[in-house]
Parts: sequence; structure tokens; C-alpha cells
Amino acid sequence: MIKVRIPTPLRPLTKGRGEVEAQASSIAHMIDTLNEAHPGLKDRLCDETGELRRFVNIYVNEEDIRFLKGKETSLNDGDEVSIVPAIAGG
Amino acid sequence: MSDLIVPQQILDELIAHARELDPHECCGFLAGTGRTVTRAYRIKNIVGLEGAAQAASFDEAKIRHLSRLSPEERAEIAFIMDAQEMFQAVKDMRKNGLTLQVVYHSHPHDPARPSVTDIKIANDWEENWSRLNLTLPVYLLISLMDKSRPDLRGYWIKQGTVSPAQITTV
Repeated sequence: MIKVRIPTPLRPLTKGRGEVEAQASSIAHMIDTLNEAHPGLKDRLCDETGELRRFVNIYVNEEDIRFLKGKETSLNDGDEVSIVPAIAGG
Repeated sequence: MSDLIVPQQILDELIAHARELDPHECCGFLAGTGRTVTRAYRIKNIVGLEGAAQAASFDEAKIRHLSRLSPEERAEIAFIMDAQEMFQAVKDMRKNGLTLQVVYHSHPHDPARPSVTDIKIANDWEENWSRLNLTLPVYLLISLMDKSRPDLRGYWIKQGTVSPAQITTV
């Protein structure tokens, strides 16, 4: 099982939960699995071509998936995935 | 003791960045070794991108405000760092043995003080820095309120408390 941290802006899609679990073998698989349980989540993370949006970061344990294999990054039982909005301010 | 030692040339680069994008907000990172800054990384402000404001950790009032504005107008009062460019910057820092030390952005119309939004998002990010094995950065603000005399100030934002960071220019 993979633990996934959900940032505040996406919590309306997860019934307010800041952490959810998923059974997934890769980031792409995780996004599809989460989207089944929480419809709309995939659209917030990926653009129409399926690429990760430029205002979203996904980290597996401590590493940005862009340093790994992007959405094809494999996941193992016990991994912690963090979805983190881009740094912003006003 | 100074929190950071920053060459004047790098501060000049930040002012140039802020002026180039004025009246839009610029943003980026400073990196170096120890307490000494050696490099600036400009990062694209993508607050104008469709859906970006809704995805960022802005509060609801800020999102409502931004949604009433054009993409151009949004960039005058907010920034969102392009995550793809942030990744490229961090990659370059790793390659060169540099540490991310500063997150900077400009306030074209406001003082060089963190806004309520800046403080909220810095708080949201506080736990991320350590989770990602990065140290808590200094937040540097560049104000262009007085166009002829840009004002640069650094702050620590820890657990919701803002305090000045000591910056020595060399």
C-alpha cells in the first residue's frame, strides 16, 4: 500500500482527507487509481496530454518524480508519495 | 552574524529581473555554499496559466480575487513558480554542489514585506523543505514601490512568525 499526501487545495476531492492510500505499481497507475476513488483528481494533476501540470510537484519519498522516471516511476509497498503545489505567493 | 552573504552583483541581478517583469511579479531562487550566495536562478511566474491559481495553496478569497482578473493582471499581485523550471534549477544546484538558500519574488506595487498570502504559503511549505532534504530558505522580497530605489529585504518565516534575516552585501 502507498501513502499519498494530499495538499489542501485538492482536499475537497478527497472528502477533506490529507492522506489517502492507494494500491499502485507506478505514479501513472496511482493517479488513475486515485481518480477512480476521487473523481476529478487526475484532471487537477495532469493536462489534456496526460503530462504532469507545471504547477504541481509529485515526490516519491524525498525525490521529485522529474528526477526519477516521471509518471512511469515505479512504486513499492510502503512508499510515501507527496503531491505538493508549486511555490507561490502574493 | 549574517544569515546570508550576498554579492552586490547578485542583488543587482534580482533588481534587473524585477524591473524587466514590472508590473508583473518575478520569482526565483538563490543558491550557494554555506552562508554565501553564488548564483541566482530565475523561475517563470505561471500564475496566468489556466487552472494554476486554483491548484496553488492560495486561500479562497485570493482565488476568488484572482479568478476575476485577466492572466496579465494576476501576475501583478501573485506568483506561482513553474515546477518544471524549479526542477531544472534544483538539478543544476545538485550538479554544482549548491544549496538552495533563498526564495525571492518581487512586489511591484507593495512594500518589501511578506504578504498574508506569502506567509500562509511559506507555512504550508515549511514541512516540505525538511521532507525534501532541503534547508528552510530565507524569503527575499524586492519592492518596486519606489521605482528609482528598489528595496530588498530578507525574512525567515517559521511557524507563522516572520523575522528579519541578516543579509550582508559584499
